[in-house]
Amino acid sequence: MKHPAAESTTVRQAVPVADGRDSRPEPVEAAGRAPRSWWRHPAVVRTVAGLLILVVWQVVVEATAKSYVTRPTGVIKVIPSVLTEHLFLSDIGTTLTAVIEGLAMATVIGTVVGLLVGRLPDVRRILGMYVNGVYAMPIIAVVPLLTVWFGYTPTARLVVIVLEASLPVIYNVAEGARTVPRTYLEVTRIHRAPWWRVWFGVVLPASLPYVLAGIDLAIGRALIGAVVAEFIASINGLGYYILFNVNSFHEDRAIVALIVLALFAIVLRALVNLVIRRVLVWYRPV
Amino acid sequence: MTSTAAAKIQVRNLSKAYGDKEVFRDLTFDVAEGEIVSIVGPSGCGKTTLLRSVVGLVNPTSGSVAINAQQVLEPTEGVAMVFQHFGLFPWKTVAANVAYGLTVQGVSRRASAPRVQELIDLVGLQGFEKAYPHQLSGGMQQRAGLARALAIEPSVLVMDEPFASLDAQTRDILQLEVLRIWESRPTAMMFVTHSIDEAVLMGDRIVILSGRPSQIFDVVDVNIQRPRERSTVDSERFRVVRDYVWNAVMKDTNRLVTEPDHSGQAASSGH
Repeated sequence: MKHPAAESTTVRQAVPVADGRDSRPEPVEAAGRAPRSWWRHPAVVRTVAGLLILVVWQVVVEATAKSYVTRPTGVIKVIPSVLTEHLFLSDIGTTLTAVIEGLAMATVIGTVVGLLVGRLPDVRRILGMYVNGVYAMPIIAVVPLLTVWFGYTPTARLVVIVLEASLPVIYNVAEGARTVPRTYLEVTRIHRAPWWRVWFGVVLPASLPYVLAGIDLAIGRALIGAVVAEFIASINGLGYYILFNVNSFHEDRAIVALIVLALFAIVLRALVNLVIRRVLVWYRPV
Repeated sequence: MTSTAAAKIQVRNLSKAYGDKEVFRDLTFDVAEGEIVSIVGPSGCGKTTLLRSVVGLVNPTSGSVAINAQQVLEPTEGVAMVFQHFGLFPWKTVAANVAYGLTVQGVSRRASAPRVQELIDLVGLQGFEKAYPHQLSGGMQQRAGLARALAIEPSVLVMDEPFASLDAQTRDILQLEVLRIWESRPTAMMFVTHSIDEAVLMGDRIVILSGRPSQIFDVVDVNIQRPRERSTVDSERFRVVRDYVWNAVMKDTNRLVTEPDHSGQAASSGH
């Protein structure tokens, strides 16, 4: 029988693994008593996999490109100094604020446009093609233009984020609004409900799960938008922090910023899932 | 029962076509005050479309429907509908769903609460006021659907295969409960079903649709006393009426089987 966990006990390090769960030490003797149950536990397997990747990274870089590729140990070493760096903290603040603002605006715009596209065939005929086209288009290509129109300013970044994040929301909400069960609408008609009761009382709530699914997809795109805008327009923020540090041979510090971006995405998505479970208690995916 | 002057619902020469496809043609019948009319016919004969035309959800191609001598052009006041798939809003509790018709009429939640509670009790859902539809069985959901329809005190009640998505046992129970509730407040009622037994058990009269496009094959007077009970299905009269309707519907189905060129569609073997 193999003991893949054997390595994990010897190379265990104080590395926060991406999912951050379960890093309790597992003595090798435990394998003797309950070999199947504990090392097959998903948290253990995931932790081991993460540690293995770090080990391979460390070993390979150590052996080949030590002088110019960063190693996990190097990243860990700079964490305290990065996290206390004033510039880094203010960059986190501006980027994450912009992402949250952009997501909020994209949610509103995406929901309104999505409901109209989904429910009104005329609007769908007029806008459908453009929505599809813009959704498929790499927004990155528009960033240089936006810097001309909005300057090298945080506004340009916000516009990029909103553009990136609105489209998945529009796309999803339109689909949700289009497929509102016919019976729901017949119930409103038979009760002679006014238009606003149909839209706000039925079409919107029936589409809410799609709004949240759209936001879930929009989170990743919003982060891309923020980072790309900062890269191209040299706007202060986490993206620019990464670019600047890589250019000045501080890969370690860039990777810390990268981890912060990933953690932020994970936290936001977890929040969306929390809302789905807590607020949409009635929602049962078919 | 077949009065015309006092008829609550008057269907006159009603036809409906979607493009070239004629669904039904030239239907004429009445539903009197306090009468249940069952509509039966083979699958796909347009029973549901007929019902939707009567309440104004679908515009007929020609002919007319009048409720209370007023032509129906869109859904009218005092008409309630019970749907095959219940049509409960999943984001509303049972109480809020039952209150929906009253809410739309502008009745505040507080003002409608006693009436809503009364209806929830009537359909046997007490204790589930705050439950969401997904927490209820199909039978309980349809009870809520019925309570919502009754909440507006309709003078016309239409039911579109209300028990078709329920299991057989629940269906038997609900048929009798709907009859019990209806008997306590008789309204003009149209009842679409694909179950012939159900049509006979519920209806004062049965409109049999047949052919393609559907036309009225016959209107049968059931002539079984109310209140009707479980034992009604064992009576001689029930058997006679059921067999007559069965033969009428089946003849149509058989004709479709033996004349495949009659329409391009596969014949249905369901009743």
